[in-house]
Amino acid sequence: MPTVHVRLSRGVPESLAPELMKRLFFVSSSIAEFELIREEGSVTGVDLTLHSTGGEDSADVAAKVNRVVTEQVLPQRPLAPRVVWESPVHRDTFADTFPELVERGTVVVSGEGQVGFGEPLISLFACLDKRLRAIALSLEAAREYQYPTLLPTSVLDRFGYFGSFPQFPMFVTRLHNDLDVYQSFVERYTAEQRLPDDLFADCSNHDYCLPPTMCYHSFHQFQGRKLEGDMVVTARGKAFRYESRYHTSLERLWDFTIREIVFMGTPEFAAKCRTAVMQQAFALMEELGLTGRCEVANDHFFTNADTAGKILSQRMMELKFELLLPVSADRSIAVGSFNLHGNFFGDSFEITGRDGGSIASGCVGFGLERLVHAFLSQHGSDPAHWPDTVTREMG
Amino acid sequence: MADNAGNKAAIREFILENISESTVRDDEDIFERGLVRSMFVMQLVLFVEQEFGVSITGEDLQFDNFRTVDRIDELVSRKLAAV
Repeated sequence: MPTVHVRLSRGVPESLAPELMKRLFFVSSSIAEFELIREEGSVTGVDLTLHSTGGEDSADVAAKVNRVVTEQVLPQRPLAPRVVWESPVHRDTFADTFPELVERGTVVVSGEGQVGFGEPLISLFACLDKRLRAIALSLEAAREYQYPTLLPTSVLDRFGYFGSFPQFPMFVTRLHNDLDVYQSFVERYTAEQRLPDDLFADCSNHDYCLPPTMCYHSFHQFQGRKLEGDMVVTARGKAFRYESRYHTSLERLWDFTIREIVFMGTPEFAAKCRTAVMQQAFALMEELGLTGRCEVANDHFFTNADTAGKILSQRMMELKFELLLPVSADRSIAVGSFNLHGNFFGDSFEITGRDGGSIASGCVGFGLERLVHAFLSQHGSDPAHWPDTVTREMG
Repeated sequence: MADNAGNKAAIREFILENISESTVRDDEDIFERGLVRSMFVMQLVLFVEQEFGVSITGEDLQFDNFRTVDRIDELVSRKLAAV
């Protein structure tokens, strides 16, 4: 595969290197691998390995890398990390259980970012979710819902999702319902025995997508409604994000499961609920014998001209915290996020409270496969070495 | 004092250019009152840097420093005194 060295037009400070790394695979589908080149404390270039079949000119890819650096990375103002909780559990050794679990057939890789699993992981997954669900249902005015998987694209349109995160959504479509379309499709398919390359020319429908997270189902549910009081909704469901080549083991999937908790009501209620869930989640991590920390974080805004402003304001106002659990000696993954939205979703979905004004909201999402993965990295794959609190629950 | 009053006036003017209301009190929290969206903080950071020739980094990037004309003015004065 061809390699190309991209000299950055301006160096990227080390503090912003993660923001560059998490964007590179979205810059071009031609990029197979990358390595940052550092000189005197800043990133001055990127070595790219390109797919030989990509067909994209390497100069074009280099120009795009520099564009993303100039437009989306350098305008950002890095804030010093702020840790709000550290687990009292200490751990020096971690296990990379994924290869062994695949070998044994416990874990099944069925596609890019798509992973299935059998026992004992099903029971572990259920046990962890049961505990998180109990936290949700312990909150005042909490209720549980189960939602369908598909989400109308109009829901994401209401609050500009596609403008902020164009890299994530996965659309659901179908052949246009018309006899001529069906007949010509079947004729071509029968003759060629494969899906035509221009399939989507016959798929005009884009009314539905796969949900990038679960809370949008809840805002959609209460769209245009007046709430009689503060409310908490929890749901478990599948979420989908196109993660390009960033997908890894059970750690980062295109297709995963979230236990979501949404708070709607006064700003004080949303803030109080977020704090309560954080405290209970931290206690649960400790009970599960997991080491980790919680710090201020930001969403992965992409392409939007306001990217730097959105990230800065989100971090300065501490609207997002992430629960980070180590999976190796030098790497942690986010297994949960704790968010406040102000009136953003109340305004966008015209949800009002008792006073007639837009409700404030917040949400917490736990990535269940990630939590399982972090648990396995810290406790290993043998249930004999798992904490009693888990094995008792699993029966 | 003249400089200080001038700084405040410049800050006030910049905020007024970006909100729909025609006046803003110096102690009014422009974010809490919903006069601007939270992202406006980035524009305030860039404005302060360009207008007053100071660099806003690290510990200065506290939301409380940007809530009111008074707080922004205090930040500017602190930064100018340190130059």
